[in-house]
Amino acid sequence: MAGAKMASALSPAVQKLAAMPILLTIATKRADGSVQLNPVWFELRDGFIWLNSNTSRTWPKNLQRDRDVTMLLVDPKVPDRYAQIHGRLVSLIPDPQHEFIDRLAERYTGKKFRDLEPDEHRITLKIQPVTVTGALI
Amino acid sequence: MALELSPKMQAFTQEVFPAFIGTARKNGSVELVPVWFEQKDGSFWINGGTNRGWFKHLQRDPRITLLLVDPKQMFRWAQVEGRMVNWAEDPGGEHINHLSHRYLGHDYQNPRTGRIKIQIEPLRVIGSIDGWR
Repeated sequence: MAGAKMASALSPAVQKLAAMPILLTIATKRADGSVQLNPVWFELRDGFIWLNSNTSRTWPKNLQRDRDVTMLLVDPKVPDRYAQIHGRLVSLIPDPQHEFIDRLAERYTGKKFRDLEPDEHRITLKIQPVTVTGALI
Repeated sequence: MALELSPKMQAFTQEVFPAFIGTARKNGSVELVPVWFEQKDGSFWINGGTNRGWFKHLQRDPRITLLLVDPKQMFRWAQVEGRMVNWAEDPGGEHINHLSHRYLGHDYQNPRTGRIKIQIEPLRVIGSIDGWR
């Protein structure tokens, strides 16, 4: 892709933005090829993007069928500044003690996550960033 | 058939924040970028240059998904699945200037030539504004 940069190391500008508790928008593909967008909590750590979801939600199911994911980080003060990050799901990690979702909830709300529903199973998704485009490269 | 937006969605889409649009490339990957938008008479309108990747994708596959999120209250959001139903040149950049006033409150500062406006018809809305479904 023209202008794309390999994301082996995300730039300081992207890392700075990712350190803020802002939402990440993720794009996954449904079985019919249409695009699904969701705002999600995330954490950038050890060069990977870490997400968490409930196993019954659609977007993690989409990601297990097609591991390619496009993510968007936008500077909340200057929406023209953004990073579009293409990545790939590299692993799914069950979160039975909901430790990681609690960690994300602390990052975004300052509190632990709500009590889980009776049949709610949390799962952590580890995403490898592959390329970055946009005005924050 | 186009979806008629609920009163809550009508109000939400008058608020000023960018839309994040997802379009599908030929290879199946998704392009995801922020754009200015307005909702008028039940359609979403965006503006861009004809060289934009997303416009090329939409000419091949008119399906487009918009994510609208209140930047101040992250739990207020809507995902709009839609379809490009029309596009037209924006001679003199009148439409981009109109959007500039909506977002910035002043005239558009960049070149106004070679721009187009795109009409998107909503087909389905998901998210917290209308309640989950």
